[in-house]
Amino acid sequence: MKNILALLRRFYIFLLFLGLQALALTFLVRNNRFHTSEFIQHSSDWVGGIYSQRAQLSEYLRLGEINDQLSLENALLRSATPENYWHLRTDVDTLRDTTTLQRYYYRTAKVVNASVNREKNYITIDRGTLGDVRADMGVIAGGNIVGVVRSASEHFAIVMPVIHSDFKASVRLKRSGAFGSLVWAGGDAQLADVIDIPKNIPVAQGDTIVTSGYSTFFPANVHVGIVDWVDDSDNDYHLIKVRMGVDFRRLDHVLVVSDIFKEEQDTLLNKVEQQDAANGKR
Amino acid sequence: MLQTVSVNIIRILFLVLLQALVVSRVQLFDGLIFPWVYIFAILMLPFETPRWMVMFIAFFVGLLMDYFSGPIGLHTSSCVFLGYLQPIVQKILAPREGYDLTQRPTVQRMGLAWYVTYAGVLTLAHHSWFFFMEVFRFSDFLYQVFHILLSTFATLVLMTIGQYLIYNSKSSQL
Repeated sequence: MKNILALLRRFYIFLLFLGLQALALTFLVRNNRFHTSEFIQHSSDWVGGIYSQRAQLSEYLRLGEINDQLSLENALLRSATPENYWHLRTDVDTLRDTTTLQRYYYRTAKVVNASVNREKNYITIDRGTLGDVRADMGVIAGGNIVGVVRSASEHFAIVMPVIHSDFKASVRLKRSGAFGSLVWAGGDAQLADVIDIPKNIPVAQGDTIVTSGYSTFFPANVHVGIVDWVDDSDNDYHLIKVRMGVDFRRLDHVLVVSDIFKEEQDTLLNKVEQQDAANGKR
Repeated sequence: MLQTVSVNIIRILFLVLLQALVVSRVQLFDGLIFPWVYIFAILMLPFETPRWMVMFIAFFVGLLMDYFSGPIGLHTSSCVFLGYLQPIVQKILAPREGYDLTQRPTVQRMGLAWYVTYAGVLTLAHHSWFFFMEVFRFSDFLYQVFHILLSTFATLVLMTIGQYLIYNSKSSQL
């Protein structure tokens, strides 16, 4: 007993080191595995507050550029309004469109913090659960894919952008319609990789990559980027380097996409999977 | 005593904010050089701080930094490692007559050569731990080594310049 105590006294610093290290690694593992960690939820409100102060300052300095963007967008929208169209038919009745239902809904948000030069980059936006922004919603900017919301507190949400080593999304080649996966291997923040497209499908520099619409994160045909070059050193699949349309260094206004049918689609898939699992057991 | 404590707390808060709001925003060569200057707060703890306390302070400094940047636990883990090593490095580098325990490890007090060795070894240890934990794969090993060495150098240069700016007079209590 005395020996054990003496031993403890000798090594208590090292034991303390191991204890604290274990605690830190637990945080790290738990926080990577689960979508919404309690820990982040509580903290991101005040950290987000500090970041949004800073974002306000830097936004002020860039007001001119933002004005240009907005007025360009205004011009485009204005030219799309009905009164700018000259009607070919004169016998137009009132039309009520019953053949379509709205599926995707867009909300605006402002970026208050973003990192681009890490392996695991994150973007903080200033909308959270109070603005109906929740985990697993897609984020786009200027018609380009940005990322997916990973967790939301009341006023802020953390987005996992394409430039995060764990990001994965289903995309396709616009020309041939072939499906692949969008990932990021680190390094250049403008270059992402498209993998899993077999070699027999032709890919050329300058081809457009868009989202496939298979996942519930993004609608189909959201622009991802342009093929920069193709690496064919692997035997079966292309490794396509894509220059992304969005500039992660200068993001400030983004749109959060919510899929109104998401729940329905997920529940249906779950139900079928459960049925199959039950059948398998029998 | 109370003054030492409050000065250290203010220094920690200031450096973490400086790191999050300014230094982390600077893009050098696509992130090849990424200095983490907030560890200056741990390096500057007085010599008399007990070892267990150095580690606890390091733990909380790391946790605070994690709230600002990326996954919780990454900085915490690297800082605890730094806090564990710091007294060991101090012991190895101790001058013959020992340390004046009420003092802090500054260039002015200990000399430039001593300071660069002390801060250099600890910064390298912290950065290596951090960057390898962050990446967790050794495929681009050479790039990572390059990345760590350049970032360590940048952190060291920034911290040394900071010292000359802040601790100009020997009587400074900051």
